[in-house]
Amino acid sequence: MTLRTSSHREARRPAVLQVFMSLLVALGSAACGGDGRDGSSAPVARPEVPEAERYGGTVVVAGRNDIASMNAFTSLDIESLQHQAHLLFVTLLKADDREQPLPYFARSWTFGEDSASVTFELERGLTWHDGEPATAQDVVFTFETMRDPAAGYPHRALFDAWLGVELLDEYTLRFTIRPAANLFYGWTRLAIMPAHILGDVPPAALATHPFGTSTPVGNGPFRFVERVPGDRWVFEANPDFPDALGGRPYVDRYVYRVIADDATQATAIRVGEVDLLPEASPASLGLFAADTAVRLISYDDSDYSFIAWNTRRSLFADPAVRRALTMAIDRPGIVAAVLEGEGMVGVGPVGPWHWAFDSTNAPLPHAPDSARAVLAAAGWTDADGDGVLERDGRPFDFTMYVTPRDTWRSVAAIVQSNLRDVGIAMEVEVREASSLQPLVTSPDRRFDAFLLTWIPDQTLDDRAMWACDQLAHPVHFSSYCNPELDAVLDSLLFVTDRAVYAGLVDRYNEILAADQPYTFLYYPPNHAAARIELRGVEMDVRGNWVSVTDWWLEPSAR
Amino acid sequence: MSLGLLRYAGRRVLQAIPLLLGILTLTFVLMHAAPGDPTATYLTDNVSPEVVEQTRARLGLDEPVPVQYVKWIRAFAVGDFGRSYVAGEPEVRDKIGAALPNTLLLGLVSLAMIFVVGGLIGVIQAVRQYSVSDTTLTIGSLALYSMPGFWLGLMLQIAVSSGWWPDALSLPVSGMIDVRDHSSMTLVQQALDVARHLVLPTVALGLASAAGIARYMRGEMLEVIHQDYVRTARAKGLSERRVIFRHALRNALIPIVSLLGLYLPVLIGGSVVIEKVFAWPGMGLLLYDSVYARDYPTVMAATFLFGAIVVVGNLISDLLYAAADPRIRYE
Repeated sequence: MTLRTSSHREARRPAVLQVFMSLLVALGSAACGGDGRDGSSAPVARPEVPEAERYGGTVVVAGRNDIASMNAFTSLDIESLQHQAHLLFVTLLKADDREQPLPYFARSWTFGEDSASVTFELERGLTWHDGEPATAQDVVFTFETMRDPAAGYPHRALFDAWLGVELLDEYTLRFTIRPAANLFYGWTRLAIMPAHILGDVPPAALATHPFGTSTPVGNGPFRFVERVPGDRWVFEANPDFPDALGGRPYVDRYVYRVIADDATQATAIRVGEVDLLPEASPASLGLFAADTAVRLISYDDSDYSFIAWNTRRSLFADPAVRRALTMAIDRPGIVAAVLEGEGMVGVGPVGPWHWAFDSTNAPLPHAPDSARAVLAAAGWTDADGDGVLERDGRPFDFTMYVTPRDTWRSVAAIVQSNLRDVGIAMEVEVREASSLQPLVTSPDRRFDAFLLTWIPDQTLDDRAMWACDQLAHPVHFSSYCNPELDAVLDSLLFVTDRAVYAGLVDRYNEILAADQPYTFLYYPPNHAAARIELRGVEMDVRGNWVSVTDWWLEPSAR
Repeated sequence: MSLGLLRYAGRRVLQAIPLLLGILTLTFVLMHAAPGDPTATYLTDNVSPEVVEQTRARLGLDEPVPVQYVKWIRAFAVGDFGRSYVAGEPEVRDKIGAALPNTLLLGLVSLAMIFVVGGLIGVIQAVRQYSVSDTTLTIGSLALYSMPGFWLGLMLQIAVSSGWWPDALSLPVSGMIDVRDHSSMTLVQQALDVARHLVLPTVALGLASAAGIARYMRGEMLEVIHQDYVRTARAKGLSERRVIFRHALRNALIPIVSLLGLYLPVLIGGSVVIEKVFAWPGMGLLLYDSVYARDYPTVMAATFLFGAIVVVGNLISDLLYAAADPRIRYE
């Protein structure tokens, strides 16, 4: 649950550079004979390679951000969390693409009486990369340290339903729990840490312990080889990784490189210096589509782009007016024009990336006439004929903040035009992310409206954003309060029946669609770019590295 | 080195101390005045405000800014750069230690390229004054001089990755080593690998400056080659090459050499953008990322080093001037 990192990154880029890079990509595309969206790079059949011959080679992945740390207790960034969970360490459980738990380090689990406890039986034969056996003691250590406030583990809330732990033997442990939806979610994300290395470190000292950045020792399918800060992390296949947990990965070595610049990333993959870009820049998609050496991979990611309305301001206090604003905005047109038809108009905070999303839910339509009628009924009329609505002598004008992304500028221009058509004057003010943040997170919410992309997680514990008792939380942007929504969000934490849960998710979307504290613009498209010789890459809401042990390189690329 | 020169160098170093202190203080104030906070990454809905406050306290950000400044400057005075604010909180010294050699390598190679290439072009232009080649090189130099380094870098990347670029001349577009094969190479191969990765960033960083040096060199050479002692050398029957390179060039180089130190800070400053474009893991990239992450200790340490390099560059420039021209005395 976080702001989209890439948005921050794009926001960081100087405007001049952005404009230039857009030109550059356009030039590059032209040089390659078009934008490639006409199907000119239709996938070419790749050679079949028997499973036994898929081993070997070095795969090079490039991302905009460095991997901050391999210490699971202190990590926030998605790159660190993904490399911990899928490469260097194991998690207690895995999840399928509908977030159902699957065995991993825990090969089985059973619920106790009244579902007040759950007992895990661990896989035997898993060892840390220094030769020590990985046991239930490591899970206990991870759990207890993570719950210790002194350790500063940022995602403690994911384990609120896990109350205590008891070590039964070397490979068996029992947790006391309380019923919760998404009970196992945290255990599918948190890497198990080594008790024999970190067990003696005071929790408060974990943040600065060199384990995370200099001397990580894992127990996962890849071993740590080296790290050059700001440049690369290198891992190698762990030949001793148990078959029961998936066995040795196909590739011999895995290198994660930091390439902050989008244009450089695009060039690097085209010339073969890089095999995979997990987050391909939207500006480079045309270039990749036209390049037969690169293929694009579309995947679901849990994010949505929205306009937040500050409901403390009288302009946006009335739900009917907010609905009118949404109906005035041509969201299908934005998806068509800005996203080139990819992505989907937003219904609510839960999108198609969540297993409980109901695809039959329709978003509010683009209906400017209806919007005008609703605004008129709310008392907004253009009495002086200047094209801007007024009520009690107060014109309907406001400012919307956007961060300096090309996409946001385009969206803002369309929104501005749409609102002008119904008599609303909107100024667009571009602010760098770090200067926008204090305005929208401060207790007095110093904004009218702003545009952003948000990444929630699968647990849908969104109380900090919406609950009436969380109005002071930094991310409670719109200050919207609805007791019925509170009840739904509370229930989403505890309902274990998936059918009932799906119904609550529907209601969650319905309430916010009716009251529109946000205008949910769209669920943006997500693309990775891979060299065609890199095979086996699959990505979904569980993360871009979820299939890393199955990646393999064609023999010609090793 | 004469005693006068040593005294002069010592005085300049002492004068630099308040200058660097001023730079650091200004940087500290600007960093803290800018919106944003090192804990901005904690802005999520499943991180409780208590965890954020706990982190702020651990980093010392809950103290008044003047107190933070005094604490930092005290530690800095005894050589402690502190810990970075990024996850894992590594020692800033280690981050600088990893990045500085890479930037110095890029900067020094660029410096050599600037003076060798720029000098040679200037000599050719002066010797062939008003010829087609002189005019062509003048136009070319001015064109290159007006190109921003990052733009040139991106253009070079596009050229190298395009279909018409010959395979035999293929060059890496990012990083400083081939991460796939570098560890299995011999030492010589590894050196050549780094050299190949240096080509494009060096050109992007230094070509505009080389064009500037060419203009300087042309002017100096034109002044020198019309002097009596050059005519005398020719009258003695020396070859034209010997006249130009042994007699004229040596004297024309005196003012040019003094530019050597002045270009060092230009290159180090330019590295901030060039290193990002070429994913070169140096000080420029480190500073760029640290500024956006509001990693105050790293920004302060990097700023100090950049400031020190400027001071040292200026000093080298003065000393070289004295070394090149024995008539100059420093008191």
